[in-house]
Amino acid sequence: MNKVVRLGASVLALSLVAGSAWALDEEFYKQAGSKFSGVTLRGVTESTPASNYVRNVLAPKFEELTGIRVDIETTSWDQMYDKAIKDMEAKTGIYDMVYIEQDIVYAYLARDFLVDLTAKLKEKPDLKAPDFDEAKLTTFANYFRGANGDLYGMPMEAFIKPYVYRTDLFNDPEIMAAFKEKTGRDLAPAKTHEEYTQIADFFTQWGKDHKLDLWGSTAQAHTGHPASWYEFFESVAPTFGVYNWGIDAANNYGATVEHGGLMNSPQAKEAMKWWLHLRDIGPPESVQSTWSEVATTMAAGRAAQGLVYGENVAWIASDPNQSKVVGKISVALPPLSEGVLKAAEEGKGYIGYYDGGAFGLPVTSKNPDATALFLQFLAEEDLQPDWAVAGSRITTTATYESPKVTELNDKLGNYFGMLRDDGKLFGGAPPYPFHAQLREATAPIFYDILTGKVDPDAGLDQMAAKAEQELTDLGYRK
Amino acid sequence: MQSKFLGWALLAPTLLILALFGVVPFIYVLFVSFHQWNPFGANPDMLFNWAGNYRKLVFDAQFLASLGVTAAFVFFAVLSELVLGYALAQALMRDFPGKAFFRTIHTLPLIMAPIIVGSVWKLMTTPSIGIIPNILSNWLGYDLNIGQSAWQAFATTVIMDIWHWTPLVTLTLIAALVSLPADPFEQAQIDGANRRQIFWHITLPMIRPAILATVFIRMMDAMRTVDEVLMLTGGGPGSATRYVGVHIFKEVFPRTNYGYGSAVSVIVLYLTIVVCWLMYVGLIAPRNKGKG
Repeated sequence: MNKVVRLGASVLALSLVAGSAWALDEEFYKQAGSKFSGVTLRGVTESTPASNYVRNVLAPKFEELTGIRVDIETTSWDQMYDKAIKDMEAKTGIYDMVYIEQDIVYAYLARDFLVDLTAKLKEKPDLKAPDFDEAKLTTFANYFRGANGDLYGMPMEAFIKPYVYRTDLFNDPEIMAAFKEKTGRDLAPAKTHEEYTQIADFFTQWGKDHKLDLWGSTAQAHTGHPASWYEFFESVAPTFGVYNWGIDAANNYGATVEHGGLMNSPQAKEAMKWWLHLRDIGPPESVQSTWSEVATTMAAGRAAQGLVYGENVAWIASDPNQSKVVGKISVALPPLSEGVLKAAEEGKGYIGYYDGGAFGLPVTSKNPDATALFLQFLAEEDLQPDWAVAGSRITTTATYESPKVTELNDKLGNYFGMLRDDGKLFGGAPPYPFHAQLREATAPIFYDILTGKVDPDAGLDQMAAKAEQELTDLGYRK
Repeated sequence: MQSKFLGWALLAPTLLILALFGVVPFIYVLFVSFHQWNPFGANPDMLFNWAGNYRKLVFDAQFLASLGVTAAFVFFAVLSELVLGYALAQALMRDFPGKAFFRTIHTLPLIMAPIIVGSVWKLMTTPSIGIIPNILSNWLGYDLNIGQSAWQAFATTVIMDIWHWTPLVTLTLIAALVSLPADPFEQAQIDGANRRQIFWHITLPMIRPAILATVFIRMMDAMRTVDEVLMLTGGGPGSATRYVGVHIFKEVFPRTNYGYGSAVSVIVLYLTIVVCWLMYVGLIAPRNKGKG
């Protein structure tokens, strides 16, 4: 009898704990939302698995609860910025929510485009959801805090760009034996650039020899799209110890080695040559690949390994409707030069890209209170597991423990585990308010390097000089 | 007096719309072009800098290069569209089985949005995956890689434009050919003129206004092409297809270089007017003068 009572008490306690952790406070949203019934919120965001889930699932659910309609416009990355910036610049107030990718937040904060969410919820406590607590967010939220430590964007997606590899190929006995015979070492995910190149060369040759549509590595190397610029400066160069695009903000924004920067350093030049070689031995579509095409290449089984944005890892690994390599991929840390991992562990550098975005509330919004409600709704614990599964994104710490997430994590080769445990080793975009400006100023030279019109060494020298000139023109470099 | 007032009253809505959506924005762009203005600069305000932007663009190698490739693009695209459009118009003047079906199919590209055209062509030309590189490689042993080869990318943008806009030329020229009187042709045949002579001395002079109007429209459109090319190549590889429209887009939108981008826009508008004026003076004015 005693056992039964104890068991019953345990079950009750467990259900209470679970209930408090996962229950969505529907009553609060119904009551708070009733004041805004009939209001329509408009948001603009990049079309990603995570934002499509907001549009298709979370927005209708919110409307059902509150009567507040939420129209989410999902568009291309550049169109999204174009629309959001024009709206906020011209103060037209079309949008109540704008997607803030981590690399633009500093520019928006510098222009005072966004509402301080922490302060707003303090000023209007009736708007604050009882279980909303900023402390429940992962540390990625810190990228969206202002100088005062307050939150200016509600994290919506967060992911790292890991090294993704094909477990079916890496564990194939015939391939393993052939690799060992050719290189003298066991086939395993690369830890250094040399190992990575060796594996890439091997698989490209293997594909040729066996008449397979298989190449050694992906490369996000479009010759006219900023995706290639970002792959180099945010994913490849850091693995060689070139951080923050090779610009030293503390040293008058120097980009050239002469002025304290690293954009044209020997490490940057080595990184460029390494990456160009991978592009050359990669799938032919690499020269037209942006972020999404790299994921498609991986999902089509055309590459043995590559650096792939984490937002795509879940569907590549688990969706048979979109991927030919379901259950056949795993993740590892990117290959690194000596000293880079240590620098990352000491907080002096980073080993790859930590990306993601948040929804911000523009100061020009015509419905700031209703929007504040929706933004808190997006942080509700109860909604996170399904959203994590759909968009391979996690923005609250408790989501890692969800059964749905842990189950998917096994299929993803511990991607979520890596995000949780090693996420700190990855870095977001540098805190510059001039991202697109600097990128577009230097991109023509960068594309010329990719096409071979300019030698990589000379090209990086030109880019570093151009970067300094642009920063001078913009008034940041004195 | 009353009819004069009525005329202006009827014109007023059109003039108002033209002023609101044409003249006012143009004056604003002209105003901005005399300023240094980047809202993401250390100083986000508009700073008057006289003709500094215009001076800068004269020495801007990127802009000058984009003008060069645009001129080549306009020349090859419009010329090809004209020749193909005329040939198709002549073909469609005759009766043949399935003519109505062919004419409908042939007109379909016209109703497609440029951004869709760019997307479809991108899918068709992606190296090793797209249908066109596959056919060329498997049947002719030719490697098409518009992400790497500058001239292949250029040629593909020209072909895409021809595919998209030739139907417009065809329809315009069909309308012109249909409206031609039969008498001059019958007289020429009675006088023993052959087909070439009839074309050069009767058909061509009579449809010349329609040809010139079509060329003007297509030339102005081709000079400001953006969407399709941005979607297909992004202006690459390198700057091989960075036509002036793409150049302006990249300066104004991602780079938010509003002052300089406005100056480039004004100069491109000016160049377009000059080219059209030169064509008018060279091809239409002498003929009108002769008639006078």
